[in-house]
Parts: sequence; C-alpha cells; structure tokens
Amino acid sequence: MKYILMMTGTKADFDWYAKWSKRDLQAQLAFMHSFTRELKDSGVLVATEGLGFPDQGKLVRAAADGTPITDGVFPESKEFLAGYWIVDVETPEHAYRLAARVSAGPGPKDRGNQPIEVRPVMSGPPPEML
Amino acid sequence: MKYILMMNTMRAGESVPNWPAKDLQAHIAFMLNLNKTLRESGELVSAEGLAFPDQARLVRAGKNGTPITDGVFPEGKEFLAGFWIVQVDTPERAYTIAARVSAAPGPGGVPLNMLIEVRQVMSGPPPEMS
Repeated sequence: MKYILMMTGTKADFDWYAKWSKRDLQAQLAFMHSFTRELKDSGVLVATEGLGFPDQGKLVRAAADGTPITDGVFPESKEFLAGYWIVDVETPEHAYRLAARVSAGPGPKDRGNQPIEVRPVMSGPPPEML
Repeated sequence: MKYILMMNTMRAGESVPNWPAKDLQAHIAFMLNLNKTLRESGELVSAEGLAFPDQARLVRAGKNGTPITDGVFPEGKEFLAGFWIVQVDTPERAYTIAARVSAAPGPGGVPLNMLIEVRQVMSGPPPEMS
C-alpha cells in the first residue's frame, strides 16, 4: 500500500525555520538526503518533493466564467505543506516507523520531535464514486 | 517550473460526499478527463488522491525513536484531499489549470469553485541552505 508522509507547519514555523543556523540547516538537509537515499535503496520510495515557502503560495478559485481569481492571504493558523514522501510499504506500521524517523530528524537544540501526518494514498476513486 | 495544486477541501470526519451517484460520477469523470488532458499536453508530473481523514494519523518519535501515533486533529484542520504537480512555463499557467480544477462539477453539475492552493515545487533546497 502507498502512504504519504507529510511535513507541515504554520507561517510562524516557517519563519522560525528560516532563522536556524547554517550548521543546523545543513545537518537537517544531510539527514533528509540520507533518509531519502535509504528509502530509494530499499525500494520503498515512490516520490518525494519539497515545496516553496508559504509566501509563494496562492489560493486560486475559478470565477463564474472559469478564469482564475488568485489571492495570497491565508489564515494565520493555516498549516502549510512543507514537503512529503510517498512510500510503498506492506503495513501502516512500517509507514509510521518511517514517519518517526523524519519526526526525530536533527534541528536546533530546543526543538522537539515534530509530528508527521501519515495517510494512505488511493490508487483510484472510492468504488462508491464510480 | 513545477507547481503543486492542492485541494485542501476535507475536514475531520468527512467521507464520500453525500451527493447523488450521478453527480459523484460526473465529478470523478471530470477529474479523470482533466488528468488525461494534462498528460497529453505533457504538463502532468503526478496526481494523487488521499484517503479520507479518518485514516490519517499524526506520528511523532518517542524518546527511543519508536513511533507514537495519534488520530486526533484540531477541529478546523484542513486535510489534503489530493494534489496535482504540473510542469509549466509560468505561474499563470498553473493558476489557469488550478481554476479548471476549482470549477469541477458538484451536486447538480454546478461548478464547486473550490479554493486550490498553488505553490512552486522546489527542484532542491534553496542555495543558501546547502
């Protein structure tokens, strides 16, 4: 089964992250690279992406004539997706173990383990929608 | 440039919408057709649909690195229902595609005009971090 592991944060979390020392950022990046390589080597990695910072985000809605209306204002509490991994594993527990690895990734000294949202990825729409 | 189009339309407790089967089918047919069009134009990088929020877990590493899972989310939390990653030349093209998604048909075939979050997908970490 495919599972998605999502790292999210509020605007405040991203602002804090942008202030990490260069050494902390590099240690985190090195961890991410080696984690992704390990997933690739063990054959469970389907895809991984890192997203732009929230200040680059836009909300788009279709107007009555279908043209895009864009807006860059988000509620303060909004959780932004920072990046994700999609893994193909046999059990949810395996996905949770991998998420725990990301959760405990390195950061500044005062940083606790971050929560990672894990959810199955569907191979198609639910049967009742077809 | 790669952009991600996110449907953050689900809330905790939500499952398959309570629409007539005909409307659900028209919605899915619209999405499948849009994917096909984007694939044929060479713009589609990937598209995924996620399981409903009742299957989502928050995972955090315990002190010894083992996963601690929790299924309780804040009430107003937006859940990612699905996303598209497209490869396009301009952000405006990504917004145009997002507007197409936004206008997907809902009950009675009326366009939903959903809010779609659009953000650039990075090809790697920002240069100042590596």
